[in-house]
Amino acid sequence: MSFFKVKKGIYPLIAIAASLFLLVFGLVTAKSERCWYFLLCAYAWLLIFGLYKGCLRILPAFIIIGGAFAGIFYAVTGSMISALSMANRFGSLFLAAAIGMSVESVALTRNLSQMRAPRTITLGMLISTSFVPVLRAEIKRIREAVKTRGAGSVYNPKVWYRAFLIPLVMRLVKISDTLSLSVETRGFALGKVKYSVYKKEIFAWTDLLFIVGLVCGGVLAVVL
Amino acid sequence: MEEDKKRTQLNNGKIDDSIADLLIENLQNPDAEQEASAELVSTASVGKDMQCEETIENKIFQKYKIKDIVFLAIITACTLVTGAIMPLLVNVPLFGIIQLGLGLQFSIFPVIGMMKVRKVGSLLFMSIFISCFLIFMFPPMALLMVCALIVEILVVLIFRGYKSDWACVLAGTLYMPMTVPFLYLYYNVFYSVSGDEKKAVSMFLGGTNPGVIIGMTVAIVALCFVGSIVGMLIGRELRKAGVLKK
Repeated sequence: MSFFKVKKGIYPLIAIAASLFLLVFGLVTAKSERCWYFLLCAYAWLLIFGLYKGCLRILPAFIIIGGAFAGIFYAVTGSMISALSMANRFGSLFLAAAIGMSVESVALTRNLSQMRAPRTITLGMLISTSFVPVLRAEIKRIREAVKTRGAGSVYNPKVWYRAFLIPLVMRLVKISDTLSLSVETRGFALGKVKYSVYKKEIFAWTDLLFIVGLVCGGVLAVVL
Repeated sequence: MEEDKKRTQLNNGKIDDSIADLLIENLQNPDAEQEASAELVSTASVGKDMQCEETIENKIFQKYKIKDIVFLAIITACTLVTGAIMPLLVNVPLFGIIQLGLGLQFSIFPVIGMMKVRKVGSLLFMSIFISCFLIFMFPPMALLMVCALIVEILVVLIFRGYKSDWACVLAGTLYMPMTVPFLYLYYNVFYSVSGDEKKAVSMFLGGTNPGVIIGMTVAIVALCFVGSIVGMLIGRELRKAGVLKK
């Protein structure tokens, strides 16, 4: 019955497949006008499937970066097609990013664990995704320390190396030691050890509809 | 004969006396005996441990521990954060611009990772973690895994692993520049779908200008070499501080 259940969020592996499809489609058909229409429809499709947070986040970035690159290309080549192709490429990239943003790293890890992916890979992926905010906080802290000590500008290579890079790596090593201890004490083990998955990811009919809709849209954009 | 018998009896008596003295001493001082036996046991076990460690270190392929994977994942996160400019570089039509933009961070951090986890496959693991994310920004960057595999094979053939710091430097220097020929192949195959392969390849090769190709390739290799040296220096400093253990 879980197949017919409407749920929040898209099945992680389907989301990855969808974002890859959008990226490749955008790269291949970037020069055609149809690609632009397809991307607009895909944006609406994402909104319908509840990915409005990601969609709203990418919009200003797309307008600024995509617009800037399209403008540069129009200024250099003088043709609308090259400007459109740049806008399409960035559009597909940001749409793929919007889908990627909707997938939580924990959900992806659980999904991969369900598929019996190697524990080394799932652990590595989980840490590298969830570590980014920690890393940002550490970088901010070290920068503040550099300012407080009056070591100089971080853009000076010597200061950057001595006062920023070395303390950062030192902190990373210490954090990794603590984190590995924490992982081990929670009973995580590599190798062929039996394990269970807390909160299994369920594939629902909405996931199927989502990916089928995108693929059909892509096919129609090429054929029609 | 009688004299001989007497002598042996006397000798036996002496030996018995000395043994008796030792036994008395031991009884009076039991801690010393325990310490001596413990010392003997510990030296024997330390010897065994040392031998085990040496045999493990001499192995080319070693088992990965959780702490190794955790550190490699953290270093990957660091590389990814600093490599966030990639989506912007992807669309700039200049030969090797991606490699030039990412060369420094993709050599510094992997070298630090390899200097901490001196096991064959560490670069491959980092590449797998990196590719999982870069594939969303630019799918052909998944070719990094192939590059890492080739570099690992080279390092095993030349240095028999990452025991030497220069092995890490070699791996860090070759890692990113190795993607250049693979990307050429990618553009050639990928754009053949749309029939624009000649245009795409000429755009990728910077208008098929050999000067641009050679100049950019040299710049990428030089940048990666500098990055690898910086990574090695950081690794050495950390080892001196006792943070990285060889």
